[in-house]
Parts: sequence; structure tokens; C-alpha cells
Amino acid sequence: MKTKRPFQRVERMTPTMRVIHWVNVVAVVAAVVTGLYIAHPYYQTFMADPAVDKYVMAWNRLVHLFAAITVDITSIWVAYMYASGDRHKPWMKLIPSKENVVEFFEVVLNIFTFNRRKKFDTTHMDSFNAFWFALLHLLLVFMLLTGLQMYVQGLASGESSIGAWWPWILHVSTDWTLTVFGGNMGVRYAHHLGMWATVIWTMFHIYVQIWRTIFWQEGDIAIAFGGSKFPKKRRE
Amino acid sequence: MSVKREAVIKLFTAPNASVQTNRGDAYYADLYRRCEARLGELRAMAPKSRINLHEVLQDDGFDRRDFMKWASATTAMLMLPSSFTPLVAEAAELMNRVPVIWIELQDCAGNSEALLRSDGPKIDEIVLDIISLEFHETLMAPSGHQAEKQLEEAIEHFKGKYLLFVEGSIPVGEGREWCTIGASGETFEDHLLRLAKDAAAVVAVGSCATFGGVPAAAPNPTGAVGVMDVVKGKPIINIPACPANPANMVGVVLHFVLTGQIPELDALLRPKFAFGYRIHDNCERRAHFDAGEFVEEWGDVGAQNNFCLYKMGCKGPMTFNNCSIVRYNEGVNWPIGVGRGCIGCSEPDFWDKYAYERPMADAKLKAPFGGVEKSVDEFGLGMLAATAVGIGIHAAASAVIGKKSTECGEES
Ligand code: SF4
Ligand code: SF4
Repeated sequence: MKTKRPFQRVERMTPTMRVIHWVNVVAVVAAVVTGLYIAHPYYQTFMADPAVDKYVMAWNRLVHLFAAITVDITSIWVAYMYASGDRHKPWMKLIPSKENVVEFFEVVLNIFTFNRRKKFDTTHMDSFNAFWFALLHLLLVFMLLTGLQMYVQGLASGESSIGAWWPWILHVSTDWTLTVFGGNMGVRYAHHLGMWATVIWTMFHIYVQIWRTIFWQEGDIAIAFGGSKFPKKRRE
Repeated sequence: MSVKREAVIKLFTAPNASVQTNRGDAYYADLYRRCEARLGELRAMAPKSRINLHEVLQDDGFDRRDFMKWASATTAMLMLPSSFTPLVAEAAELMNRVPVIWIELQDCAGNSEALLRSDGPKIDEIVLDIISLEFHETLMAPSGHQAEKQLEEAIEHFKGKYLLFVEGSIPVGEGREWCTIGASGETFEDHLLRLAKDAAAVVAVGSCATFGGVPAAAPNPTGAVGVMDVVKGKPIINIPACPANPANMVGVVLHFVLTGQIPELDALLRPKFAFGYRIHDNCERRAHFDAGEFVEEWGDVGAQNNFCLYKMGCKGPMTFNNCSIVRYNEGVNWPIGVGRGCIGCSEPDFWDKYAYERPMADAKLKAPFGGVEKSVDEFGLGMLAATAVGIGIHAAASAVIGKKSTECGEES
């Protein structure tokens, strides 16, 4: 006989978090689309228009930089929320404590053995997802630093429209990337490959959420839209 | 541990590329006084060569006015206020007071060629002609033992005073003993180290002497490196580019004559007055770049309209050099001006990382384990495809196997 347990509704993402999530999605897609253009302009402009009217590369760079700024700001916000969540603090899921490590591998095992035995509390974020999200933010920091190094190369005069402190800060915080990745070109390779890594990250992220939704039947995918998931009530 | 700490400190404190174009009146007033004093000292010294700049200039058809025009342009290039123009002019006249020893290692003599360019020389080249070139294998009359004797005498005589110009890379890998100079079979490395020991400063000219250049391109059979990897404890000035622009060589020597010091350098030891800006920052085709108007293939309509060469592999956006301002051959033209992209010749590893006729995304990446070369995008797409395949397999497997397992604690 089947034992039926009622579904419960668990709120996982507040409206703010959901807005951040979707703003991030739009910004990352915009950054990838424009970044690919900057690296290798893949469409052509109309010959007949005079150059001053088109400004295609300039617009692409503008959108790219604004997308980058957006992601950076939301990341700061996310970092804050990681540390200060009122119900549970997500950063605690990143500590390699025994409980978290077990939970991490439990999720991985579930994924790779096609299982749905959920030997952990699925109502809040598991340590695998916490790790995977942290990875994205590390990737974003990497893109930020390599990207700003390329950017500061155009501010060689040491001045900028907002003052000399800006290029100074950029030099101090990003010049090391030149040494680490092998000069101006090395930084560009690194930034470009970082983009591919971000795309791969996104693909896997979406897949895992869909897979969970279908497999674990807790409606995980709904979190990003309605803010809640619907696991069955745990047995006491 | 301390070595590691040193490395980290070095990583974060290396001088950066930003250029201070205005250091304030007090600084320049002080510098002016120091330069005057220095020039006074030099004037009192006997000239090392009897060549008189103005006679040579006159023979080549330049009058005083041309010379002063050149002096003010050079003052601007050195990023000094225009009040320094008379000092720069005088420094040019006094350049024959500074002894120069010029050696060639693994090179093609291209920089010597650039310096000499006999067909219609410009003032830069003439000014370089009058430096007191104490030793230059390619240019001097004596050869063999006579030449060696002259070198020894020059080192002895100008100990601690001469500028050592180095052209060409230094082989330090396997087979370095095949590159020798002179009858005693001195290796390039030993030769350089011996001459650098007594030099006031070492000037590496051209991409090979600075970063290894073409001889250091993969697979770098001779283990070629630049001067700064071999010489330690001496002021080193790098003037990369292939060939180094004579205007920048003059700039460095003039700066030395004028102030007795080497110019301000960036993290790669390149003088900031010449390597402070990217080609792209001052390129005449920049408007086409911003507009998204690119040459798509050689000789197309875009090429005829001087469109941006980015898609043909121009590396101006990642190359620091001043050819877009100073140009070559008396400012007649420069690579992008004649319709081909920059190949980044003044950057380290330029032959492997910059000199290809496609944008960066299509660059060939060398796998760390050697052998196979992949373009940056192909590599990225490859990883993406691998992920997609992995996901596909997992999804298919989920569809087949997944249904069979159960949630723990629940019976199916
Ligand atoms: S031709 Fe090269 S340096 Fe000039 S604008 Fe285009 S990319 Fe920049
Ligand atoms: S345009 Fe580029 S490749 Fe050409 S000389 Fe200048 S720096 Fe070198």
C-alpha cells in the first residue's frame, strides 16, 4: 500500500532574491552576447550608414560594462544575504563540516545513481547547491578582475572622468593578473575562457534544477518563479 | 616561505602602466635646474667624437628651423613641458659626449638598420649617428682581433660611463655554447654579462633583446631570453618593437644625456613616454572600431575605406607602443596606416600570442601538455559540448533507470 504524505509549501526565495536572480540572468546573457561580439565581431554593420550614427562596437562595450556592473552589484547583495539570512545562513552550508560534506555527496550520489533517496532535509538549500552557487560567484570575481584589467588599459593616462583614484584602484587590484595569466593577451584568453566556464555553469545549473524537479518531485524549479517549493512533509 | 612572500609582494607592487603627464610646476622647475647643471658638466667634457651635429644636419639639408621643430616634438614625446625645448636641443648637440657600446647577439640587425636608414634619414637617425658609438660590430671599420681590441679599450676607458645597447636575444638553453663571439669562444651570455658589468645602464633594443622575441617563439630551440632575464643589478631600459623605433632610442639617450638618469619605466621596464599608451588609444582607425566597421577580408570595400583591422587580427587594443603617434620613416606612415593590423611586436611573446591574422577569440591555444593547438573559442565550445553530452547521457539514463528507484522511506 502506498503511504501518502501531504505536500507542504516552503518559501525559499523572497521577492528580492527572485528579482536578483532574474536580473542576474538577463545581465549574464547580455554580457555573453556582447562579450562574444567584442572578442570577435560576429555581425556586420550597414555600410551605407555613416560611422558616427552606428557606434555598434561602442554600444556593445557599453552594454557589456553595464551588465558587468549589474552582476557585481547583485553579487555584493547576494554575499550580504549569504551572511545574514534570517531563517538560515547559507554560508554555513559552505563550511566543510561533516554534516555538510555528507549532504554534498548525498546530493551528488543521488544525481549520479539516479536516486531519490533524500537522506537530508530538503526544505532548505543543500550544501551542493550552496557550493555550486559559490562557484559562480568566484567565477564572477575572476571575470571582474580580468575584465577590469583590460578596461584600465584604456585609462593609461592615469586619469578618468571620475578622478585618478579609479584607475589607481584598478591597477592595484588587477595588475597581478598580468603576471599570473601571461601579459595583456593572457588576461584576454583567461577572460574569454571564463565566459565559456560561465555558460557551462549555467547549463549545468538549469539541468540540475530541472532534473531535481522531475526526479525528486518537490517542484524545485518553481522556487525561481513563485519563490516556494513543495516537498512532502517529512515523517516524524 | 620568504621567497614566496617576496614573490607575492612583487606581484602586487610592480610599477603599473599609468602615465603621469603633469607632475606640477615645482617638479619641473627643479628638474630644469638639474638638467641645466648636467648639460653644463657635459659641455665641459671633451666630445668623444668630432662629428658636429649641425654640420651633418646641414649636409642632409636640414636647417636650424627643422632642427628646432624636431626638438619641440621630441620634448613633447618625452612628456616634458615645452620650456624644456632648448635643453633638449642642447642635449642632442651634446649626445657625442656619451659613449655607447652596441653589441649584437641572436638578432637580424634590424634595429641597426632602423637606426642607420641611410635613404633619406630623419633627424632622429642623424642624431643617433652622432652618438659616440665606441663599438658596433656591423658599423665599424675594424674587424677580428682589431675589433676586439677596440672593445676592450672602450670598456677600460669608459668604465661605468658607457651605455650598453644590446640587440638580439641570449640563448641560455641547450646548445647555448654554439653561440659564441670572438676568438676566445666567449658565449653570448658571458659576453653580455662582462660588458654589462661596467656599463652605466643597459638598453635592450628590439623585441629579441627585451623579451626574447622571434628566437624565443615556440618551441624556442635555443632557450632564448631577453636581457632582463640575464643581467641583474644594473639599470635596464627595454625598447621593444620589431624594429625598435629610432625615435624611442633617441628619446632614451636624450633623457639620459639630459638628466643623467633613466626615464620612468613600466612593469616591463619600458619607458612610459613611449609605451604608456596602446596603439588602439591613438589609432586613426579607432572611429571605425567604435562604429563596428571592420575590414572583413584583404582588399574588400572596408579595406578600401580604411576600416578598422580588428577582424583581420589587429592587436592594437592590447599593445603598448607609440607607433600610432610617432610613426616610422619621418612620420611617413606606420603599419596600420598602410592597411595591415598591428601584430603586437612590442609585447612579450608577441610571436606566439599576438602575431596572427585573426581576432583573439580565434587564437590558437597551446595545450599545456603540448602538441595539439586549439583556438580559444573551439576550446570553450569543446568544453561546452562535452558538458552538453554529459547532461544528455545523464538525462537519457535518468529516463531509463530513474523510474526504478524509490524515495527512501517510501514504498512504490
Ligand atoms: S585598426 Fe587596430 S588599433 Fe586601430 S582601431 Fe582598429 S583594432 Fe584598434
Ligand atoms: S603597429 Fe604594432 S606590430 Fe606594428 S610596429 Fe607598431 S607595435 Fe609593432
